[in-house]
Amino acid sequence: MANPDNYKAPAELNGLRTICLGLGGVALLAVAVGAYFNTEQAIRSWLLGFIFWGGICLGSVGVLMLQYLTGGAWGVVLRRVVEAGSRTLPLVIILFVPIALGVYFGKAYEWTHLPADDYSMVHRGAFMTSWFWILRSAIYFALFGGIVYLLNKWGQAQDKAGSVEDSRLLLERASRFSGPTMVIYCLIVTFAVVDWIMTLDPHWFSTIWGLLFVAGWALSTLSFSVVVLTYLMDKDPMNGVLGKKHFHDIGKLMLALTMVWAYFNFSQFLIIWSGNIPEETGWFLTRMKGGWAYIGVALILFHFAFPFLLLLKRDLKRQARLLSMLALFILFMRLVDMFYQIGPTPRVSGELEAGAFYISWMDVVAPIAVGGIWLWYFLGQLANRPVVPANDPYFEEAIAHGKGH
Amino acid sequence: MGNKLHGIMAEFDTATELVDAARAVRDAGYTKTDAFSPFPLHEIDEALGIKRSILPYLIFAGGITGLCAGIGLQFYVHMISWPIIVGGRPHFSLPAFVPPAFELTILFSAFVAVFGMLFLNGLPSPYHPVFNVPRFALATREKFFLLIEAKDPNYDYDVTREFMESLDAQEVFDVEE
Repeated sequence: MANPDNYKAPAELNGLRTICLGLGGVALLAVAVGAYFNTEQAIRSWLLGFIFWGGICLGSVGVLMLQYLTGGAWGVVLRRVVEAGSRTLPLVIILFVPIALGVYFGKAYEWTHLPADDYSMVHRGAFMTSWFWILRSAIYFALFGGIVYLLNKWGQAQDKAGSVEDSRLLLERASRFSGPTMVIYCLIVTFAVVDWIMTLDPHWFSTIWGLLFVAGWALSTLSFSVVVLTYLMDKDPMNGVLGKKHFHDIGKLMLALTMVWAYFNFSQFLIIWSGNIPEETGWFLTRMKGGWAYIGVALILFHFAFPFLLLLKRDLKRQARLLSMLALFILFMRLVDMFYQIGPTPRVSGELEAGAFYISWMDVVAPIAVGGIWLWYFLGQLANRPVVPANDPYFEEAIAHGKGH
Repeated sequence: MGNKLHGIMAEFDTATELVDAARAVRDAGYTKTDAFSPFPLHEIDEALGIKRSILPYLIFAGGITGLCAGIGLQFYVHMISWPIIVGGRPHFSLPAFVPPAFELTILFSAFVAVFGMLFLNGLPSPYHPVFNVPRFALATREKFFLLIEAKDPNYDYDVTREFMESLDAQEVFDVEE
């Protein structure tokens, strides 16, 4: 069996961590100053950063289970990257605190100020109270935490496994665990994003909402992982592991998820457009006016059409550098997509009417603040453990697969 | 030589020998060649210098055709042939046209993929000369075969046969037309 100690993360990661923390720290100070002058905007922008970067953490949990379920070489080379992503959960919980405080003190989320006889409040009862909202988030994080803890525990045990049989048993346990837990995962994500984002607009609802985020976060995670793997590709030890076939496989998944994202979004649009009921159409009408309309068109063209057409090309998927450039572009569009969901929702303070087109400087700085801190933590987690599961029974096979034609 | 020959075939015991021989054949300048093996050999395309298939481009064209056909069909039905007002919407309601257009895109792509694959492979082929070599039946079980066709520009019976015999083949066969 291979020795996991030969697969330690490259030392260059430490320099990168410092840069991320510095950048994140400066941006964090700027957001703190912004929060002093405009608390609601700061919380909304923080939420944007949280949903984007926290989405990569929670998406990593999903992709980690997905690769245990499907098997295959792409999962073996990707596993430690998404494991590190899932282990950022404690930080993500801390990053969530400002949003919870915002809800608790009624500084954000319109529903915290709606009169009790508003029709969106009447039938939802305790569901729309601050304390229950925060309690629910705590439950989601606890459940995510349980999944992350178990999968990482088994992953670490595999590195210490003394024999192939032990290692195989651990892999089987993780795979068996991932099946039913995947269902639970989709349910938690659905509840979580309904609370965190859909309630920003308390009068609107959509039942495909959770799946939009399950697919979107998986796409974010895969795109992010491609960038990380490309960075590791020409450094020891990953230069002996990664091959173009691995990137090809992950590229195919990115293509599939780009389509799934578009499919879910269009399904949501088509059903609401066909139904033509005022309480549902408002959400889209707001986003088809003024500046939002341009963002909507940009999402169709650059979150779907452009990556879709490029990812069809086999050669692009096999060139790690090109693929990771496209992945960075997709990540940027994911952020734009999140902004399109959060931006037009009504505000607590009446300074802007609902649906007004407005980009605050904090919408740019807060994602940088969250991202810098998150990346710092992520890279630390990545460096903590060997970058590949060297004791996995399929490890050799996975390397050979990458070198194949 | 009574019968016209389809080509010359060599039999090998292992996949590695076949791939090595295929490289030698390509380097010798032969282009009308083929290799047969009981399981897919990913290196063989490169070893024989086989060009990438144009099938993906045909499928893409098929998909575009399906998309246009889907939009065109609905445009014709809803705008020209039988305009009816549905749900108070305009006759030309693009969102409603998307699902059928999408389905036709998939359908046409799938048709081109399946039938294009068959066509480019020359299938169905009820008769093929390689089966005139009795041992060729082993290509589906344990043996590996390499063929140089007689229509290759570099083909010359004596030279090619001698060349094939120099490749460490188990046996070299004449393949009758």
